[in-house]
Amino acid sequence: MWKTNLKVLAIALLVVGFYTTVAHIIPQLQSEVPEALALGSGVTPEALVAAGEKIYNGAGGCTACHGLGTRAPNLITDYKGQGAVGARCGTRKPGMACKAYLYESLTQPQAYIVQGFDPIMPDMRKQLSDDQIWAAVAFLESQGGEVDVTGEDIAKSAPAKGAAPAPTGPAMTATLDPVALYSEKGCIGCHQMDGKGGAVGPSWDHIGSRRSAASIRRKIIDPKSDTTKGFEKFAGMMPATFGQMLTAAQLEALVTFLANKK
Amino acid sequence: MTPMLALLQQAVTDTTGAYGHFPGVGGRGAVWVAAEVHLMFAAFVLGVPMFAVITELIGIVSKDEKYDKLSHEFTRLLVFAYSATALWGAMLLFALTTLYPKFWAHMTKIFSVSMWIYVSLFFVESFTLYLYYYGWERWQFGRGKWFHWGLGVLLNVWGTTVMLIANGWLTYMMSPPTGATAEGLPKGVTMWNAIANATWIPINIHRLIANAVFGGAIVAAYAAYRFLAAKTPEERAHYDWMGYVGNFIAISTFIVLPFAGYWLGREIYQYNQQMGITMMGGFMSWLWIVQAVLIGVLFLCANYYLWLGMARIPGAERFVPYTKWMLLLLIVCWIAWSTPHTMIATRDELVSMGGAHHPFLNVLGVMSAKNTAVNLMILTTFLSFLIYRRANKESVVPWARTGTLIQGAMFVIAAAVVLFYGVYGYFVEAIVRIGFSVYQVGAVLMCILGVSIIDAFIGRGARSRGEIRWGQMPERSQYALFVLAVTFTWLMGLMGFARSGIRQHWHVWEVMRDTSPDAFTPALGYAANMISLCVLIFLSLVAFIFWLGGLAERASHAVAPEPHGVAIPPGIAVARPGAAPVTGD
Amino acid sequence: MTRLRLFLRHPFWQAVLLLVVSYLAFTVGVRYVPPLFRVASAPVPGSVVLQYMFIAIVGILIFVSSDELRWRTFKQPLHATLVDQDKRWLRGGLLVAVPVLLGFATYQQARPKVEAPIQLRSIHPAPPGQITFRGKAMQLSGLENPLRKSGSMADHLREGKRVYYQNCIACHGDRLDGAGHYAHGFSPAPANFSDNGTIAQLTESYVFWRVAKGGPGLPREGTPWNSAMPVWENYLTEDEIWSVVMFLYDQAGWQPRRWEASPEERKNPTGAKQPAAPNAPKAGGAK
Repeated sequence: MWKTNLKVLAIALLVVGFYTTVAHIIPQLQSEVPEALALGSGVTPEALVAAGEKIYNGAGGCTACHGLGTRAPNLITDYKGQGAVGARCGTRKPGMACKAYLYESLTQPQAYIVQGFDPIMPDMRKQLSDDQIWAAVAFLESQGGEVDVTGEDIAKSAPAKGAAPAPTGPAMTATLDPVALYSEKGCIGCHQMDGKGGAVGPSWDHIGSRRSAASIRRKIIDPKSDTTKGFEKFAGMMPATFGQMLTAAQLEALVTFLANKK
Repeated sequence: MTPMLALLQQAVTDTTGAYGHFPGVGGRGAVWVAAEVHLMFAAFVLGVPMFAVITELIGIVSKDEKYDKLSHEFTRLLVFAYSATALWGAMLLFALTTLYPKFWAHMTKIFSVSMWIYVSLFFVESFTLYLYYYGWERWQFGRGKWFHWGLGVLLNVWGTTVMLIANGWLTYMMSPPTGATAEGLPKGVTMWNAIANATWIPINIHRLIANAVFGGAIVAAYAAYRFLAAKTPEERAHYDWMGYVGNFIAISTFIVLPFAGYWLGREIYQYNQQMGITMMGGFMSWLWIVQAVLIGVLFLCANYYLWLGMARIPGAERFVPYTKWMLLLLIVCWIAWSTPHTMIATRDELVSMGGAHHPFLNVLGVMSAKNTAVNLMILTTFLSFLIYRRANKESVVPWARTGTLIQGAMFVIAAAVVLFYGVYGYFVEAIVRIGFSVYQVGAVLMCILGVSIIDAFIGRGARSRGEIRWGQMPERSQYALFVLAVTFTWLMGLMGFARSGIRQHWHVWEVMRDTSPDAFTPALGYAANMISLCVLIFLSLVAFIFWLGGLAERASHAVAPEPHGVAIPPGIAVARPGAAPVTGD
Repeated sequence: MTRLRLFLRHPFWQAVLLLVVSYLAFTVGVRYVPPLFRVASAPVPGSVVLQYMFIAIVGILIFVSSDELRWRTFKQPLHATLVDQDKRWLRGGLLVAVPVLLGFATYQQARPKVEAPIQLRSIHPAPPGQITFRGKAMQLSGLENPLRKSGSMADHLREGKRVYYQNCIACHGDRLDGAGHYAHGFSPAPANFSDNGTIAQLTESYVFWRVAKGGPGLPREGTPWNSAMPVWENYLTEDEIWSVVMFLYDQAGWQPRRWEASPEERKNPTGAKQPAAPNAPKAGGAK
């Protein structure tokens, strides 16, 4: 009798154990409560730092380069005796406070490259929202420094988007009409065409006979590459951001249009 | 925006005092165990009376005493199981009031009247059960017997009504009526609207069928245990037969359960797409692979039991060679069904597959393949039943051969329809493909219905090829019945987790947020541990109840040794077991 | 010859043979047979082989034990190995081999590996009910592509094509098959729109959500940091996203998944809404 009882018990335990094991073999996935990341103006520094830490280790993908190997400086550990990023960020770029420097390195990473590293960091606005970038800044500041990111920074950066180099928001239309681009992208402010526009830069009339298509393209993307004779005092005036403001098709449309203006 | 804001505020302000603390497993764990074990017992006390009433009716109609004895035996177990249900219900109630006071206040505010009705029905149900059980000898003959049977029916009516009310509460948590807030129901929305919400009817149907399945499986496990412990050949014969009947009820009702589940899922989808995707494609999608493993085990165990049982039927030899091909088909279908779409793979394997989907096995990962596999498994199981029933019969009707050919054609047509739509499903858009599953299911159900009707006529007055040697069953067949019962119980726990888990971090979907630290939905491993815990608690209590039943029986035997029931009266009724519970002949 | 036949008739050796055959079918068969018929295939992941082998073993055990005689013959060699006097060398060998094999398997499981842990990624996680698109709240459920109701379809498609070829082609490829120039660099690979398991299973609002919010917008079970999909709401306008979504369906030849009519609509269908279509619980990833 006891033999039967034990056998039945063994069968029951075996079956239950088997199902439990099957459920354990599958990689475990827990469904978290979605966080209401509403970092309004009343947000506390603690909340920002906590959110930033998650971004740093998660959605931001920062740890892929920072903190591993030699691709990028270590941020949350000591770097060449200068302390963690929060301690050294205020002195990196002369005249730039910690907060501004960190925000710049996240949004315009090529603006300042730490010596000894390659310019490989992507513009984080492609992956993160403004709230998230500010949260990441707050987290980095907290690593050895004082957190001074506030709700106002987040609120301020939202309208500042339009002025930022990466064209975001409705400023970017899809038109391929070069004349429309002429006024829309602000070329009209400096270059004259058909009697319209300012006289800061060379006129666009007959530009095709002076420059080749390749030269025009290079000039738009990298304005510092050369300066037209007679405009030396205006050298460096042309914004270097048109390469980002135009889509490839728009750029080509504009270049072809200008090269044909003989 | 405003409701979202209100919810956020609620989340911040309400956390304090909204939740109690429970040592060890935590508040959620405590409620989980109490609710699940209560539910398992509730399924037991709803499923077994269904079983008892049906067998009693068969006993009355066929004048076969052994059915009556079977029914009586189970009602005795019910008396114990009933108090266990009430006990665990009380535990659940206290756990909710102490651990989730705020949520419970919300529920009582909305459902107060139905809670009073619930309690009074429970009271009435208890009295009916006592009358039913203790009046068994008093009303054993003539009109009294019909009155007694009426009591049994009444018992089922009360029990089902109680379940319907409780279903109203829990489905409200999944699909509350529009406009409900944490403060209560809006004007114009009554308690009835909250009970009769979008998923209420599907859950009712699903649970009703599942209870019958569960009742059958538990009965079979009980019989298996008594079979193994039996000392005389008569006892063995009786419990062998009882195990067969239990298994028959469990599997034949189980066959329609997937369709009820399908409907429930559909309603959930329709109520809220997000909840539907969480269930089928999102966070919960892996749960269905585990479910496929469990149901595969169920189908194989049921068939295995039937095939082993054919050894005790004279004349079954002519069907034995076919069983291995049926086994092969079942195995192939199981493989197809349990093939995951998104595979667990290491990085290297992912690279060689070019993603998480296997380029070739991908075909088996989608719903078309799975529906086809399940329908074929159902058809195969039905075929097993059919040859089991046919095994010792020799038809005397002149058109028997033609009839069998027609039956065969029905099987072929049903399988062809299932396969055709399964394959065709790959070439049409999603919304059309979903419609195909209706045709597949329809073909299978039509086939089952048509074949059963023809079979009933073919079997009319059939000659027996020899008596079934009840009791001549290898022991491993009885262990298959245990596996069946444990698997059903575990499956119930798993599906309970699925139903409750898709609400994620809501107490009441999009009405009342869970702001406790336990608001996250746990991973499958943790859930499996909890389910196993509940199953083991339930099974050990059930074992205890069975043991008590044995004690009571011995006591009554000691007072007045009853001659009935031990011996199986030979005859046509025993020789034709397959027809017994459903058609009643 | 007769010995071989006897051998093959014995249930024990039949079981062993079946086991070997099924293992070969799951590993070598699936890998190399479909390519003979010009159907793509790949090695089966270990986890799936394990699962298949478990099912196969259950099937074989049922096969040998579903008949009393077969079961007894099956057990015979096992019994003989355990007790027969003349098999003591075999017994001794097994006594050594089994623990060694188990030990080796344990070592294989426990030894430190450099592999990244397996991550379970949900390809089509549940979408949120509502998203904020550039500060504007959008209700996702029930949302239709607004462009389908206004303007010329040809224009929308042309616009969608332009957007696709300017932004998406590098990863998702010229043939919309997820095999763009950069695709090989990503794991998970970019979505293959020509496969019937991606956009064909989804509503347009879902695809809109995925385009607008990209990888970072995925919920946790979608392991957001794995996906390289950019947050396109920062670069594209609402109309551009809708037009590219429309283009995807048009070009890949799929119909967007339609919304189910809500129960109220079914009871009193209004003229404006499309008729209630039969639908059922398995959009997302049919798994």
